[in-house]
Amino acid sequence: MVEKVLFEKAATYTDAALTFVDDDGYPYSVPVECETDPTKRVLKITKPKSLASVGGKEVGIIFNHITPLPVGGYTDRRYLVFWGKLEDRGEKFTLEPTKGFTWDEKEVPFFQYSEMKVSRGKKYLDELSEKPWLSTRWLVIRTFRLPFVIATILPVILGTVIAYRSGFFNLLLFGLTLVAALLIHLGVNTANDYFDSRAGTDDINTTPTPFSGGSRIIQYGLLPPSAVLSLSTASYASGILIGLYLTITRGLPVLLIGLVGLLISYGYTAPPLKWAYRGLGEAAVGIGFGPLLVLGAYFVQTQSFSLEALLGSIPVGMLVMLILYVNEVPDRTWDDEAGKKTLVALMREDSVVTGFLISVGVVYAIILIGAITKIFPLSAILALLTVPVALKVGRTIKGNLGNPYGLIPAMSLMVKLFVYTTLLLIAGYLVSFLIHF
Amino acid sequence: MLAHYHYNQRSGSCRQVLVLSTTDLHSLQELPIESREVLESALVCEFTVVSPSGRPITHPLLPLYDSQDGRLFVTSSVLFSKKLDHIKQNPKVSALFSHRAGIRVSPYRILLVQGNAKVAEEDIHHGWERLLPLWRKKEPYIDSFVKMRYALPLFWERSVMELSPTKVYSWPKGDANQPPEVYRVK
Repeated sequence: MVEKVLFEKAATYTDAALTFVDDDGYPYSVPVECETDPTKRVLKITKPKSLASVGGKEVGIIFNHITPLPVGGYTDRRYLVFWGKLEDRGEKFTLEPTKGFTWDEKEVPFFQYSEMKVSRGKKYLDELSEKPWLSTRWLVIRTFRLPFVIATILPVILGTVIAYRSGFFNLLLFGLTLVAALLIHLGVNTANDYFDSRAGTDDINTTPTPFSGGSRIIQYGLLPPSAVLSLSTASYASGILIGLYLTITRGLPVLLIGLVGLLISYGYTAPPLKWAYRGLGEAAVGIGFGPLLVLGAYFVQTQSFSLEALLGSIPVGMLVMLILYVNEVPDRTWDDEAGKKTLVALMREDSVVTGFLISVGVVYAIILIGAITKIFPLSAILALLTVPVALKVGRTIKGNLGNPYGLIPAMSLMVKLFVYTTLLLIAGYLVSFLIHF
Repeated sequence: MLAHYHYNQRSGSCRQVLVLSTTDLHSLQELPIESREVLESALVCEFTVVSPSGRPITHPLLPLYDSQDGRLFVTSSVLFSKKLDHIKQNPKVSALFSHRAGIRVSPYRILLVQGNAKVAEEDIHHGWERLLPLWRKKEPYIDSFVKMRYALPLFWERSVMELSPTKVYSWPKGDANQPPEVYRVK
């Protein structure tokens, strides 16, 4: 039985067209006026005088809406279709539909609607023996999620800048540290896609965003899972080779940092560890992009560790953790369904914003205390200029819980919060070199 | 007003179809200018295919009319490929131009184009791009979406359907209660 709500929706349209197959086998359509009776689930259609009797025929009736834009084009797309056998009863046709379908882009955004049809699209391409096309440049950017490597670049720079404050800097070592860290990061991204694909997490997600839901490379058929796994393996292998060179030239702690990093990164989604599926992914990311990268970069330069580098790594690590945290909010439902127990999936919805605000508060508290106690240069407090951005992220999350696409601005802002805060922290150090705080 | 009688050999029934006039054409280019303006300006048409069970299935699609050659096209992403499967099994389709907000001509006029659709998929990645000049006239922002192809690659894997018309029904003054003018395209 066709749902009553479809009849209620049909009453909101102004344009309807009736279609049947004529005696020549061609569809014949004509605009009609239509009344709906949601209680009886019946449509009453005014007979166009130009139409000979079509009673008894299988028909479709489409209700269609667009809103033209002044600049050209249109928006606000929605349509509704009923099918059934048309009865000719007196002055009007009557249709008791046996089937109905509707799409309204305000209820199901077009992007989500398209994601729901991905398997159909792939199947059609398979039948044509085709694979989807994407330029090589974008295939690389999407596969490796290149924009997110900023989360590796900035911690390595911070660790190196802190080392410079201690009187150490070697450009080649900085370059090698950066390349190794980036390769491991790319390995993580591709491994994550591979193992999430195996677990089905990304496949069932029909509301991915540019920041969440994986790269979609496997889901779209752009690359097979085996290719993604190979890329991950190659990235990890290359990063490990550089790491081994740094271990030999700078000391065993590099190996220890690397091993912990590998354990965290590979085990993020790979069985049996699967940190991300156990509510430990966020901590893993925070440790990986914070202390491991900053301390690692610091050690490669200085062959020692310091309280300053450790403390400086915590806000950075927490900010990267918060990128993941915010990105998990739109995926909450899908992750939970797939058994991926992220911290956000485990939390009550009303606690998500509180958790964010407490975490970001800790970030700023560490920077402030570090600057006041002179562990950091005083100019490090420049990083506090981003407090309004943090508050805006919190407000945007609060106003869009349950709306994946409404959360996109929050996710974008959170990345900016990490970038700006870390850059300002680095800038604080650079200022201190010039002005000698 | 002419009465046109249609005799169905299978069922033996005969029914009267009221038409205003019947004219033979060679292409859509020979339609009156008022009708061609509808094709050129319409932002949406109700495009109907026939399923294997004989059910008419209608989709709102963007019609692309090439006034130079008198050819009518629509495109479909592989994401929404069911209509393509239906056309491959039964090429008989129609496109109704009646949406009041979507037809930006005065006076308002209704057109129904019946014909046979052919699906062109030799280059499903880029073949549809030859229609971009026509697409741009109706959706000027389309280039900015195409530039973001990386965001939804499968949406841009598109088949082109060309509708070779067999018959066009035109309703003067946009009143479907009036008999249509009929144009047979040979």
